[in-house]
Amino acid sequence: MSLKYGVLGLLKEEPLHGYEVKNRFEGMLGGTWEVNVGQIYTTLQRLERDGLVRPVGARGDRGKQTYELSPEGRKALDQWLGEPESGPQQLREDIYVKLLLAARIANGDLRGMLARQKRSYLQRLRDLNRVEERARRDGRVDLARLVRGALLHTEADLKWIDELASERFGTEGKETK
Amino acid sequence: MSQLVVLKDVTKVYQAGITGALSGVSLTIENGEFTAIMGPSGSGKSTLLNLIAGVDRPTSGSVAVGGADLGTLGETALARFRRDHIGFVFQFFYLLPNLTALENVLIPAQLKGKVVAGRAEALLDELGIADVSDRYPARLSGGQQQRVAMARALINRPTLLLADEPTGALDTHSGDQVLELLRELNRDGQTILLVTHDAKIATRYAARIISVVDGKIVDDARLESPDRAASEVIRVRVAEMSS
Repeated sequence: MSLKYGVLGLLKEEPLHGYEVKNRFEGMLGGTWEVNVGQIYTTLQRLERDGLVRPVGARGDRGKQTYELSPEGRKALDQWLGEPESGPQQLREDIYVKLLLAARIANGDLRGMLARQKRSYLQRLRDLNRVEERARRDGRVDLARLVRGALLHTEADLKWIDELASERFGTEGKETK
Repeated sequence: MSQLVVLKDVTKVYQAGITGALSGVSLTIENGEFTAIMGPSGSGKSTLLNLIAGVDRPTSGSVAVGGADLGTLGETALARFRRDHIGFVFQFFYLLPNLTALENVLIPAQLKGKVVAGRAEALLDELGIADVSDRYPARLSGGQQQRVAMARALINRPTLLLADEPTGALDTHSGDQVLELLRELNRDGQTILLVTHDAKIATRYAARIISVVDGKIVDDARLESPDRAASEVIRVRVAEMSS
């Protein structure tokens, strides 16, 4: 997720100062992201420098500066929103590579590793389910939708593990060198 | 907790061409548990359920429910066992079309020689379908039909409620309602065994997940249910703006 467009998107709703941007983000993502308010201030300054946002009014309490979208900012945001996500699939989790390496090193027997990973995914599904239910109960629709995406992703990971388990590693001949 | 279901080294062999065989399955289910059985089609998960329900008999090994060894029961005794101890909910409801919702619910009680119209009406009310109790199945939605089937399964206060893909023929909303009802029943102490191929559903409602592949139990996971903060479960990565 790009912080730049995240900030632009929130400013499209209404002008905000840095701390409000942080709060809105947290409302939307339920504390599942790692950004401190300093990064938001830096981003706002860079967006101002690039002409995508501009300050509104004078600095208020404790030097708080409210920003709004400029027409250029609006254009940049609309373009970003209109483009489908493309490019290579991001596989960030170690397990993707861990399994390939283990297949070479451990003489192809991955059963233990696959079983442990499966348990871990099942537990994650349970945790995600609970977070989704809590988010819905609390009326936090944005967070619930995000969690739903994560649930479906984890389900796919689980299916992959099941497929690998049914492949019976090591009995399939030589792996590619 | 006490052991409600005990399977010892259960094998079920079918004639060639029929899938769903089991080989050497041992399993214990405690009173009050909500367990999900997962596995691909033909893996034997429905066979497992049918053996526990006393609908089918194992080729070898033993199945005991509530202390009764099903293998020692003759056909009549087995039918009585099913009627008194097992509630079964299926994917396609299996309501009798010529009976109203209420009459369908009453069948298992009548087989037992009991008149329990009051309890049937209370159940229909609990399941949110009291207003359609005099309708015939054809005039009920899928979700309503499944809830009637649940009331029918519960009328004799079964020791064990078995549900084989109970949401398989329902839309998401009706399916969620049925599953929520199962959850409430379990909270009130009902032991439930749910067969599903959906890991999202399994992990949402069941704290124990048994995986069956090729007629064998390949995993039996008891999951934890801590109240984790969203940030402990999900991290959204944010890319900073390059200078």
